[in-house]
Amino acid sequence: MSGPSEVLQPTSPHQRRSTAASARFYSRGVSVCLAAPLVVALAIGFVYPVTRLVGLSFEGGSLEQYRRLVAEPLYLGVLASTVKVAFIVTIASLLLGFPVAYLMARLRHGIAMVVAACVFIPLWTSVLVRSYAWVVLLQRNGIVNTLLADAGITDGPMKLIYTQGAVIVAMTHVLMPFMILPIYSTLRTLPPDYNRAARNLGAGAFRAFISITLPLSLPGVFAGSVLCFVLALGFYITPALVGGPGSMLMATLIGQQTTVLLDWPFAAALSTVLLTVTLIFVFLFRKTLSLSKGLHSVH
Amino acid sequence: MISFPLRWTRAHRVVAASALSLLSWSSVSLATEQVVIASTGGAYDRALKAAWFDPFTKATGIEVVTVVATNAEMRAKVAAMVKTGNVTWDLYLDGEIQAASTAHKAVTEDLTDFCKQFAGRKDLGPNACAAGGALLQSTATLLAYRTGDGGPTPETWADMWDSKTFSGERAFPNFDDPWRVMAAALLADGVSREELFPLDVERALKKLDEIRPAVSVWWKTGDQSVQGFRNGDYSIGQIWLTRAKAMQNEGLPIGWSYKASFLVGDRIALVKGAQNRDNALKLMAFWLNSPEAQAMACEVLSCTPPSTDAIALMSEEVRKTMPHANEVRDFMVVPDAEWINANAAQLLQRWNEWLR
Repeated sequence: MSGPSEVLQPTSPHQRRSTAASARFYSRGVSVCLAAPLVVALAIGFVYPVTRLVGLSFEGGSLEQYRRLVAEPLYLGVLASTVKVAFIVTIASLLLGFPVAYLMARLRHGIAMVVAACVFIPLWTSVLVRSYAWVVLLQRNGIVNTLLADAGITDGPMKLIYTQGAVIVAMTHVLMPFMILPIYSTLRTLPPDYNRAARNLGAGAFRAFISITLPLSLPGVFAGSVLCFVLALGFYITPALVGGPGSMLMATLIGQQTTVLLDWPFAAALSTVLLTVTLIFVFLFRKTLSLSKGLHSVH
Repeated sequence: MISFPLRWTRAHRVVAASALSLLSWSSVSLATEQVVIASTGGAYDRALKAAWFDPFTKATGIEVVTVVATNAEMRAKVAAMVKTGNVTWDLYLDGEIQAASTAHKAVTEDLTDFCKQFAGRKDLGPNACAAGGALLQSTATLLAYRTGDGGPTPETWADMWDSKTFSGERAFPNFDDPWRVMAAALLADGVSREELFPLDVERALKKLDEIRPAVSVWWKTGDQSVQGFRNGDYSIGQIWLTRAKAMQNEGLPIGWSYKASFLVGDRIALVKGAQNRDNALKLMAFWLNSPEAQAMACEVLSCTPPSTDAIALMSEEVRKTMPHANEVRDFMVVPDAEWINANAAQLLQRWNEWLR
């Protein structure tokens, strides 16, 4: 597929792949030295604490924490609803984020920068601030309720804040940049010739998008979805601020055990379960997506 | 460049001298006696600084360093410090109930010996100094309501459940410490104050089922309870007295009833293995020994100080809104800290199950 474009496009993916392959020219010793700082940092800052955490949940070599976790329907129930919320938020981010990423990749440079700024500036803003912004928008006398009432759509203020819906809306907003950016970077590397070739061969704009652009953008979709999903599973601040009593997530329960009850072994058990579930979902996600065509670059 | 050390110009001398003086200055400031205390920050911190820390520094020369954290963060952090043996705080503030828990005892020093010096004091109650910490102040969680429609005002928890007489939406706390909501439900259901503890959790939750559809705010922070009242989200709520008073000061139409109230307080606890232990003890003793400091802080914070002498020093206006001795005697519920702590995990789990 990349044959003809190699001639036309000096910076085609093919060309890039050969530059990447030049890493093989480094000797083993140099490669080890280059990787060492990161490996050491990860070992100290990530592997060691996570291992300790998992170890803490098996304190005294017993499975007592896990027995309690399974015996009480509360914990698995909250785990299920956490996964559900994370899924909904990921899908919503994808549906809303893909068009933005597509637009950013297709627009002229100047305008693309403006769109990019609209994506980046919220990303640089504290999660706390963005979540509070939703409190302001959704509260009883907030902007949304006032607008709806003034437009005659609703009679009185609706209950918008402290609901599950508010949690999903606010989380989607907070996580959208993590969906847009990977998709954008994938779409940017797609040469426009593929699309032109498809159109030239008689495909409509929609058909060209479905059979060319979309499959080729899947690595970005995968990366963005995994990022959103994993981050959503561990969300703590946003549900606490805009959620109601029904929107209880795993992180809320872990927080309670860590800071209120100081039951760290049980908090560690809850964290370990959440970690395991996260890894399982990332694995399943990759399996599913790698079955579809055009995903050869996801290793 | 090589000749640099030989040319000892005037400029060099000035630089060297100021560097030396900087060094000596920093070593002096390191040598200053200090004590590190963690508190919840904001207005609370400012009031304590003005009334307690600054006069203390003036009297003793010991610098008071404050660290800001939420109560939950403090508990977790102190536990981590003691566990790892890297204790950087000396004192921290914790709720009356938590200060009686075994988890608290594991990370703080038993103050029984320290408390002996206050045993003979007439102005201090018997619980002003306890093994878990010195009493900082007391306040209440109680029933507050919107005033101004001229109708009857709710007085008891049963009134809060009575949606026919008292219309409007309700607010309850939901900050991972559910005993006070359950206790209110039981009192509303006719349980007497004397038989309240141990709490009959299932009966409480059944009573709460009745009021649940009317609850519009389950507040997690004090600010949420204030914002909800300002917005008109609820007209009767179980909130903190300190917040209710703050709203009254703002001019909001709010009233409250001591007939539906729980006594809660804050304690000052000494971290096990504290580096500035002696200074920390001095700071705690300074609080209990100075009614002036207590009066000044509680005047701002609308709290009840541990010393009765301090109450006498406070303004008439503030004293008027404080619970009267007979209200405390006849109505205020003093929670059974021992029972709450022993059942904290179970209570929270059952609460979570009910709430979701």
